[in-house]
Amino acid sequence: MFKKRCLFVWLTSLLAVLLVLAGCSGSTSKEPNPSKNANPKNQSLAKKEGNSLTIAIKDNLVSMDPQDTNDTLSGSIQSTMLEGLVGFDKDMKMIPVLAESYKASKDAKEITFNLRKGIKFHDGAPFNAKAVKVNIDRVANPDNKLKRYSMFELVEKTEAIDDYTFKVTLKKPFGAMLNNFAHPAARIMSPKAIKKYGKDVATHPVGTGPFKFSEWDQSDHLTVVKNPDYWQAGLPKVDDIKFKPVPENGARVAMLQTGEADFIYPIPTEQAAQINGKNGIVVENKPSIVARYMSMNTTKKPFNDVRVRQAINYAINKEAFLKVVYRGYGSEMDSIIPEGLQFYSKQTPYPYDLEKAKKLLKEAGYENGFETKVWGANNSDAMKAMEFIQQQLSQVGIKVNVVPMESGTLSDKIWSVQNAKDAEVELYYGGWSSSTGDADWGIRPLLAGDSAPPTSYNVSYYENKKVDELIDAGLQTADQEKRKEAYAEMQEIIWKDAPWAYLMVEDTMAGKKNYLEGVYLLPDGALSASEAEIKR
Amino acid sequence: MFHYTIKRLLGIIPTLFIVSIFIFMFVHMIPGDPARLVAGPDASYKDVELVRQELGLDQPKVKQYFVYLGKILQGDLGTSMKTKRPVFDEIADRFMPTFWLTIWSMVWAIVFGLLIGVISATKRNKWQDYTGMFGAVSGISLPSFWLGLMLIQLFSVKLGWFPTGGIESWKSYILPSVTLGAGVAAVIARFTRSSLMDILREDYIRTGRAKGLKENVVVWNHALKNAMIPVITMTGLQFGFLLGGSIVVETVFSWPGLGRLLIDSVSFRDYPVIQAEMLLFALEFILINLIVDVLYGMMNPQIRYK
Repeated sequence: MFKKRCLFVWLTSLLAVLLVLAGCSGSTSKEPNPSKNANPKNQSLAKKEGNSLTIAIKDNLVSMDPQDTNDTLSGSIQSTMLEGLVGFDKDMKMIPVLAESYKASKDAKEITFNLRKGIKFHDGAPFNAKAVKVNIDRVANPDNKLKRYSMFELVEKTEAIDDYTFKVTLKKPFGAMLNNFAHPAARIMSPKAIKKYGKDVATHPVGTGPFKFSEWDQSDHLTVVKNPDYWQAGLPKVDDIKFKPVPENGARVAMLQTGEADFIYPIPTEQAAQINGKNGIVVENKPSIVARYMSMNTTKKPFNDVRVRQAINYAINKEAFLKVVYRGYGSEMDSIIPEGLQFYSKQTPYPYDLEKAKKLLKEAGYENGFETKVWGANNSDAMKAMEFIQQQLSQVGIKVNVVPMESGTLSDKIWSVQNAKDAEVELYYGGWSSSTGDADWGIRPLLAGDSAPPTSYNVSYYENKKVDELIDAGLQTADQEKRKEAYAEMQEIIWKDAPWAYLMVEDTMAGKKNYLEGVYLLPDGALSASEAEIKR
Repeated sequence: MFHYTIKRLLGIIPTLFIVSIFIFMFVHMIPGDPARLVAGPDASYKDVELVRQELGLDQPKVKQYFVYLGKILQGDLGTSMKTKRPVFDEIADRFMPTFWLTIWSMVWAIVFGLLIGVISATKRNKWQDYTGMFGAVSGISLPSFWLGLMLIQLFSVKLGWFPTGGIESWKSYILPSVTLGAGVAAVIARFTRSSLMDILREDYIRTGRAKGLKENVVVWNHALKNAMIPVITMTGLQFGFLLGGSIVVETVFSWPGLGRLLIDSVSFRDYPVIQAEMLLFALEFILINLIVDVLYGMMNPQIRYK
């Protein structure tokens, strides 16, 4: 009897101690509201020793060869070392970089670049039209089997007209080609390095950028160091930057708290409000160009009826979706492409209106609703989103079964389907980010009639003759006004046709110490660290 | 004993051959198209097909297997589809971090596991026993990602004693190895306790005590040695598991080891890397089993192999 009591007392006291310990490390979670946060900039500057930066990122880096890279992260790191002829500023507006000026011909078949003079690559090779030609010829040659070949497959001819004039001629008109030149894939590498390293330029990047490649321990970090001969005056302002993959969200946040990292991204939305304004940490959220939507297979019943698709748009409370799934970090979608893309034109949103949704369903003959399934990724955000949609649609009698899948399985079941008739997909929760910043790449791969899988990503199997004509029209000319008209009209048509349930545009989420300036995320989620500066 | 060891070592070759067939089959059975994953989220159909040819995935499966086998026999593990580096380099880079983490974890686990196990067995049903077993049950039940994050919060963020992750100095090893070792220590403690309690009831222990041996000598020299057989078996298995790299702990502590490489390569369907890692794990287990068998003989001379 005594022993039992003894045991009881011991277990209870141990439990009590553990609970107290757990309580210490836990934190109160408040309903975060990004706009109403106390101004984190009022904190005094956190301490920083030295002039070196550490940036913690989520995933491992894949390649430092821009022409063979398709992840935004590797591209971001390359941008500290390599530069393109043109590029994007903070708001994804196109700016000249290594080119002084550029001109596209009216028929959208020729682009001429006038290059900056007196720039040298990190290995001493001069930057000129010949160097550009070597780069573009390399990526446009299918025998090189580079991942970015398709962005330059339209290139027919490249010419170094003189030392500082480079001209490219296309096989057919393509109005968005200039954007492809602003894409990370078109960053210029030293021709000397290409010759010396061959395929191994992927681990020996040599460019013209403000930082030079230092070392890459593939299992741990990549470091770049200051380029003292950089052509832009006043840059770079820090000695070196270390990029370190830290896959665990909590660990990344801890690194920022301890000062082991000066900048981290992404920050999980759940933790953003909690750490903002403490320990000299500032959380920055800005509109991205990542759209989140649920596509509906327009060739399948009942989604072949536009009234059903519109009803679904009316039945989802987008504001609540934003709050529940993304903690308010984002904005409602108000066109088929996010505001950050070129040629975006605002549409009238589908308000949350259950009566209207029910009425439309009744007209379509689905008064009592129907049963369907939604597919999507198996990460917690996607699952939360799908469960939310499930709950919302149940209000109008639509029973949705949530089927989360691992990415490989998804790719088999959706993107590798050879024939539209064999497509099992009904609803698919996904997203898209147009890495060229142009409307074309935000629409054509997803909604053009000939973009159905496996060719591209039109998982709604949406086909509209008028839209296809407009998509072509948008590419036939480099005249910005004409392009604008075409994209405005197609946005309106598709918005009303509702092949998707339009949900939201994500925010980019990053955290930094308040002494750090000049490091920021672009709307496409790419990181810019070239202008990094430590304030004292 | 010598002949036995040689025979077992030679036996590794056919075992690995059979294992390689299974690994190849299973890896290729995972749903998902590596060409598409390698080509990237916004690749066009043409890009994907180019990548497929480049990777040799357009060839028939049987041919792919023999190409793979042929290369292995020449000591070539292939090239990673994701990074295009030799698989051998990828694995070699990651092996030592995982190896040292395993050693550190096992040192904690064995020292604390044995100590707690022995104390619990000798102080049966006293407060030492209850505390020890409470700790052991907690060690088994605490999810390691939770424990890891809590340790980071306490020792890195609040106290600033250790770094949050990565490998910088000896300090970097403390938190991950404690996290990883906690579960193993718990298992060792429980095995030691139950095994030792059985032994302590044996006649020869009573004889030992009767002839006036000190209690410490009875427990540590005579009883513990005989209680070790199940503990060694279990410790060997745990050692094998840890050598494969802990996906969770390596992720939480950004540890550049085999576990993270495995999860990366599986999500990328990086066939050559997955295959090579699996083969390595199989080899590790075979070797550890061999070592365990040899250790049996040293612990208990009645067990001999011919």
